[in-house]
Amino acid sequence: MKSFQYLAPIRPFEYLAPNTLAELLETIEGHGRELQLIAGGTDLLVALKERTMAPRTVVDLRRLRKELGGISVDRGYLRLGAMTTFSEIESSPFVARYAGALRQAAANVGTLQIRSIATLGGNLATASPAADSAPPLIALGATVTLLSRSGPRTLPVQSVFAGPKRNGLRPGEIISSVEIQARAEVRSAWMRSAVRNENVLSAVSVAVASSVQGGRFGPSRIALGAVAPTPILAETASKALSGSEATPEQAGRVASLAAEDSRPISDIRASAQYRKRLVSVLTKRLLLQIISGSVGP
Amino acid sequence: MTKVEVKFRLNGASRTDAIDPNQTLCDYLHDAMGTTSVKKGCDTGECGACTVLLDDLPVASCLVLAPQVDGREVVTSEGLGTRSRPHPVQREFVEKDAVQCGYCIPGMIVTLSWIFNHVPEASDAEIKRLMSGNLCRCTGYLQQIEALKAARKKT
Repeated sequence: MKSFQYLAPIRPFEYLAPNTLAELLETIEGHGRELQLIAGGTDLLVALKERTMAPRTVVDLRRLRKELGGISVDRGYLRLGAMTTFSEIESSPFVARYAGALRQAAANVGTLQIRSIATLGGNLATASPAADSAPPLIALGATVTLLSRSGPRTLPVQSVFAGPKRNGLRPGEIISSVEIQARAEVRSAWMRSAVRNENVLSAVSVAVASSVQGGRFGPSRIALGAVAPTPILAETASKALSGSEATPEQAGRVASLAAEDSRPISDIRASAQYRKRLVSVLTKRLLLQIISGSVGP
Repeated sequence: MTKVEVKFRLNGASRTDAIDPNQTLCDYLHDAMGTTSVKKGCDTGECGACTVLLDDLPVASCLVLAPQVDGREVVTSEGLGTRSRPHPVQREFVEKDAVQCGYCIPGMIVTLSWIFNHVPEASDAEIKRLMSGNLCRCTGYLQQIEALKAARKKT
């Protein structure tokens, strides 16, 4: 019995699954959009069916799960391989300890069926303005290591986002891993707003990484998702928060600044005006959590 | 387009095949392998009717490219139990009348049996969170949660 097809059939392509990292980098060298990588595939499969992508070649990373996966803490850094799945992130004690905001975001990506296979590297490479992993990573000051035949290069995570659904990778480059400084004093938290609680894209998401000592905020970063062409660092708000008094009044002031840092558009998920309001509300709630110590460490 | 050799396990049996790569695991399992419990609902990973276990994790098989199955273990609702020896969750779906039209049920069973096997202490809220990727448009969620809890009680 043949299942019905209401989306167009996926266009034919050549399928390759390299056995080694060297073979992978050689295969993809010099190629542009006619070659697509597949990790978890949860974004690519939809793009293939909707024909927003029609690659001639699909290169599967599945045999490189060992080289490109895994979560570890080494020499003061939490390292997440690009092929780490959101389920792995959600259940990692290292992530819970050093990147609480990322754990919260990972637990809310898609559904169980998506988190089982969708990868961190794939989420970044798709470069959606609403990528749930991005605000926590930006707030935590994460860097991304890219690999190509000409060697590795390291970028701040924001630089992977070039525009809506456009990543800043060069031809022949892959995302290899994400690194976050493992500092036990950092408290981080993430929150989003959406039309329902589960199985939904965020209308707005906010992450804060900060610390509180002697009644003042330490170095702090606030990052925003789905309110600009890419996920962004809320620069004015982050500067105002760092070193300031850890009080509810200050949380309110900084939350308003975060709303001013956002540049949202109106779309099916929310209006621009509502999104700005949500940035302020969510930022304030997160800062109050950080002041009260109800989020880690 | 070159065919791709795949070797995998489906419901406990070894399978070797040469397949077109431009198809989903959902279509491949349903059309070529005859495991027709794997239903295509939305075909975009939202509804969960096509849920199967891939290396013992619930996945939306409509978002998996068929050749990605190489070297892995797939279990569908057919592989969880038989008519005479059903999985405890399958048995309680019958007992609790947790079925209306039935289209979402194989996927629902795969997810709930996974929760039964791996998250035995899940609270009601956690069960709801974990099953949010399985939509039932007859909206019969309560009986299904009751079925999972009844299955737990009896083991």
